[in-house]
Amino acid sequence: MQRPQNRYRRRRIYVRRKICRFCADKSIVLDFKDADLLKHFITERGKILPRRVTGTCAKHQRRLTNAVKKARIMALIPFTSGHALKD
Amino acid sequence: MKLRHYETMFLLHPELNSEDRDEAVEKFSNIITEDGGQIVNIDKWPLKKLAYKVQKQTHGYYVVIDFGAKGATIHELTRNFRLDERVMKFITTKLDDEFDPEEAAKKYEQKEQKEDVQTTETSSDSSEEKEE
Repeated sequence: MQRPQNRYRRRRIYVRRKICRFCADKSIVLDFKDADLLKHFITERGKILPRRVTGTCAKHQRRLTNAVKKARIMALIPFTSGHALKD
Repeated sequence: MKLRHYETMFLLHPELNSEDRDEAVEKFSNIITEDGGQIVNIDKWPLKKLAYKVQKQTHGYYVVIDFGAKGATIHELTRNFRLDERVMKFITTKLDDEFDPEEAAKKYEQKEQKEDVQTTETSSDSSEEKEE
């Protein structure tokens, strides 16, 4: 009986609600041309980071994925690190 | 026919000189205006490094055109992008179903003011990084 309780407590301590960056700062416009902004939301391999990592809200995550995909098509950000050009 | 608000971005070959690039941009903007479209802004980016190789090239010139046009114009524009060998990549996105030239122009006036502030900020940032 004690185990689940402990787990629950631990979770409560560690989970901190992250705030969606685009909701917090309304001046940021999600644009596929803004590669520097999108770089914050992809992994080193070029994958899109999940919501649970970045804290982005559902609405903005949908827009974000579309923006990332458009940016990939235009060679602004890599599809995968395997094809990416080194600096 | 109603105009819609579009934005098109294309990537020009890095070996083109500035005259060729201007000529290419003019060609595509003419396609838009001749078909009854209105151009709000043309943004020519400096030579930029690509995220991955495109047609064996590592760099390229991006051009962004913000405009209002009829849907049929987009088909004509896309056809010409495909035919033109100077264009390596292109994408056209619809920004809005309604096109208001004054409203669209406002955005760029604000942006210019913002950019003035940002350039001063970024220049100080880069100097800090070097010190580290």
